[in-house]
Amino acid sequence: MRKDWDVIVIGAGPAGLAAAAAACDAGAGVCLVERESRPGGILKQCIHDGFGLVRYGEKLTGPEYAWRDIEAVRRRNIPIWTETFLLELQRAGDGFVLTMQNREQAVFQLTARALVAATGCRERTARQIFIHGQRPAGIYTAGTVQHMINIQGYLPGRRCVILGSGDIGLIMARRLVLEGARVEGVYEIKPEPSGLTRNLVQCLQDYNIPLHLSTTVTRVLGRERVEGVVVCPADENLRPLPDRGRIVPCDTLVLSVGLIPENDILEPLGVELNPRTGGPVVDQRLAANVPGLFSCGNALHVNDLVDYVSESGEIAGRAAAAYALGRTQPPNHAELVPEGDILYAVPGRLDLAAGGKAVVYLRANRTIGNARLTISAGDKTVLRKRYPVLRPPEMERIVLDLADLPAGAGAVKLSLRGEENG
Amino acid sequence: MANIRAVQKALDALGIGKLEARPWRRSVVLEGRVRTWQDYIRAGYAAAGKGFKGVVNDIEVEGLEREREYIPPVRDNTLEGKQFDVIVIGGGVIGCAIARELTRWQLRVAVLEKEDDVAKQTSSRNNGMIHPGIAPARGTKKLHYNILGNRMYTQAARELGFALERCGSLILLEKSWYRLLAPLAKQQALQKGVDGVILLSRREVFRREPYATPAQRGGVLLPSAGVVAPYDVTVAFAENAVENGAQVFLHTMVQGFAMEHDRIARVLTNRGRIRAKVVVNAAGVWADKVAGWANDRFFTIHGRKGTIAILDKKTRAYQSGVLAMPRLGSKAHTKGGGINPTVEGNLLMGPNAVEVPWREDWSTGPEDMEFLLSRHLPLNTRLRPGDIITYFAGVRACTFEEDFVVEPSEYVANLVHAAGIQSPGLAAAPAIARDVAEMAVKLLSGVMEVRPNPRFNPVRRPNPRLTDLSLEERALLIRSNPAYGRIVCRCEAVSEGEIVAAVKSPVPALSVDAVKRRVRAGMGRCQGGFCTPAVLDILARETGVPPTRVVKGRPGSELVLAPTKEPGEGSADA
Repeated sequence: MRKDWDVIVIGAGPAGLAAAAAACDAGAGVCLVERESRPGGILKQCIHDGFGLVRYGEKLTGPEYAWRDIEAVRRRNIPIWTETFLLELQRAGDGFVLTMQNREQAVFQLTARALVAATGCRERTARQIFIHGQRPAGIYTAGTVQHMINIQGYLPGRRCVILGSGDIGLIMARRLVLEGARVEGVYEIKPEPSGLTRNLVQCLQDYNIPLHLSTTVTRVLGRERVEGVVVCPADENLRPLPDRGRIVPCDTLVLSVGLIPENDILEPLGVELNPRTGGPVVDQRLAANVPGLFSCGNALHVNDLVDYVSESGEIAGRAAAAYALGRTQPPNHAELVPEGDILYAVPGRLDLAAGGKAVVYLRANRTIGNARLTISAGDKTVLRKRYPVLRPPEMERIVLDLADLPAGAGAVKLSLRGEENG
Repeated sequence: MANIRAVQKALDALGIGKLEARPWRRSVVLEGRVRTWQDYIRAGYAAAGKGFKGVVNDIEVEGLEREREYIPPVRDNTLEGKQFDVIVIGGGVIGCAIARELTRWQLRVAVLEKEDDVAKQTSSRNNGMIHPGIAPARGTKKLHYNILGNRMYTQAARELGFALERCGSLILLEKSWYRLLAPLAKQQALQKGVDGVILLSRREVFRREPYATPAQRGGVLLPSAGVVAPYDVTVAFAENAVENGAQVFLHTMVQGFAMEHDRIARVLTNRGRIRAKVVVNAAGVWADKVAGWANDRFFTIHGRKGTIAILDKKTRAYQSGVLAMPRLGSKAHTKGGGINPTVEGNLLMGPNAVEVPWREDWSTGPEDMEFLLSRHLPLNTRLRPGDIITYFAGVRACTFEEDFVVEPSEYVANLVHAAGIQSPGLAAAPAIARDVAEMAVKLLSGVMEVRPNPRFNPVRRPNPRLTDLSLEERALLIRSNPAYGRIVCRCEAVSEGEIVAAVKSPVPALSVDAVKRRVRAGMGRCQGGFCTPAVLDILARETGVPPTRVVKGRPGSELVLAPTKEPGEGSADA
């Protein structure tokens, strides 16, 4: 087996699979490393449909969507090291050394000129949002519940409360009902739901599952198994009002309270992270500050559509191949500075030397109407766009042609301004 | 000299109602009614230090809900008629360490534990500090056993194969003028037997702990302070005891004694009546209740809850040892915690100290977290609330005399107490165990010949842990058993092989939480989100039960309730 690669992709979820195929198509020798027994990432357990509308123009289930990428990787004869765990990641010379373990090879090393980190994200837990009480069985993140039901065939609870109106939470509300469980309600601390509108309709409304906004869970009751939760209204600063709490009996609390990009293995390399996204600070090639390191998918920032995860994988894979094959210029970076109503924008900088087109993903920090987006460098405005309404859960994607920027642009401003309650 | 009038006077001075003190044997019993738990506690302490052996606080608190004490839902006769030389009540660190000491002799030893595992209560719900011995007052058992126990840990760790890190403890001074007192404090500490006391200037503190709070005005470094994983230590004692012939019975709750004159004739449990020549009371928060069954309740245990937050492993690089900044002159019965490393590479923050009427209520509340965040987090300027991955609470088993009770009963011929063991109880455990075992052997010598156990082996070979191994050792282990090649818990890098080994250990891990305590699967930053389903399947496979019977901890804590529907099975309202 080959030990030295142009590009190694860590993680064989949708981002990693797309990155590997793109790197291969760009002429690089590439392999994938995956800690689970099968490629496909979290899509394996997403048996609902709705994936692929942007990329394929059709509605696929998670496994169907993943299958296309897995086939694309197989057709290209790209090796996938499954059930292989990355122990250490180090820089060596102008590349990387990966020390890994699995059942067959025991401990072994691979080297690569370029690395694509497609490591996905993890779920925020009950304690991380300061839910109190004892620690009985029956408190699960939505992804864990999804794994238990869809992969293992276990029903984790019969009477469930769901905290957080993120997409996985909404989808699991429906899934639990379909499996015969009762969902007492979905509780969301914010005054508006966090999930996509289509999931609110298809998962809650269609199944008569109540959604309680500006309400949160503050305490879990029960000693061995969950016996109930205390739910409380929250004020406009998202602070619970404990004297207005009430008990909702249930045996399971399902949490869909946020995702955290997983970049912990990159930290020894000295990677610069964006505190807003939790992902590396990258340019439009999705190159991090560590030369040869590229980031994509939900490890870069949490996406709401897998189609964009795949797109970022393709960009990172292509760029990693170009870097590994020595086809890149030394970078000439200009910061991309978000202003106004922007929660975050990716990338954080533009490599003017690389040129080409930059795909920019951004989220509004609140629901706004009649929103105006402008991109400007110095006093030149290079892009203008209007949106009737923008919501934080729904990510926006725009394409910026770097050729439109004036020569020697120092910083590029990305400005979003809108009206409240649009 | 015991002074009942002084006690009565102190009670009256509280002005919280009509309370009465009466002497009983060499102790004092308090009776009456008060409105709040706080008043109950105040009365208990008012009676302490008046020359009595113990304070028995039988004051009622109006309207106080009785505790739902955990009773294992098992009733059988598997232990009916069994005979042991020594029965140790309680499978915490004290009980397990005592059992291991007892196996140095040729004795039939049993540990009875009502929970589903050892180290389930206070022994796993603390910060793992091996205290240096600076805090206890002179002349106390706490001080004696703390100093000795601290020293004994080096050998215990080597023999039993648990991690001990003598990272040192740095007590930060809050005010410059405290430095004037420091030389005196150092002198006193050395007289107490503390192994090493080093005074540091403000600059020297920053050299050692660059991220220490800028509010510090110098510090006192105690290099003998260390940390352990308290559940590891308890399991190590228990397993070595079992390897040397002791038996550990879980789900086994002592519910009374059958007395014959001044002896315990039978120990009554939910699994039958057991005969024992000597009984050791190491029942933690319930030690007073156990003493009462032998009509020897000369002290009362009250629970003092402490909440501890666990910080992400990333933070370990920000601190080299324990940091604390106690408030001088505060009346609280604790140093007030601080921030300490763990042997696994996290930092812990806390504990606080709150008097609570329920001894098994390990719930946390927002006020506990607020305390830790405002009081402890600032000790290290690099730490952020977002570094907290989880938190938990434990309950200390305190007496009103604030000292350990380590002695043979004065009235019961075959009972030894190891009670009131709160902080620094973990540090004191090896020393307490040695003394209690000797007391038990002395009692036994009256009724039987006690010979040394020629097969006693103090060395336990712990199961391998991948994270402790070099890459070469890791590779060898995986080649010998490929199950070590499959990582199940990604955050803590724990393999399937380690989990299987824990299930097959002398004190087997039979629940998800027991696996977590043995091998750390689920202790990382995702808190079991990814590995719990996998651990569930491994436990079901290795123990031969259906997945719906796999528990998180106690019976009744099943993780999944049923299989999902078969294809074609009914609709939503099944």
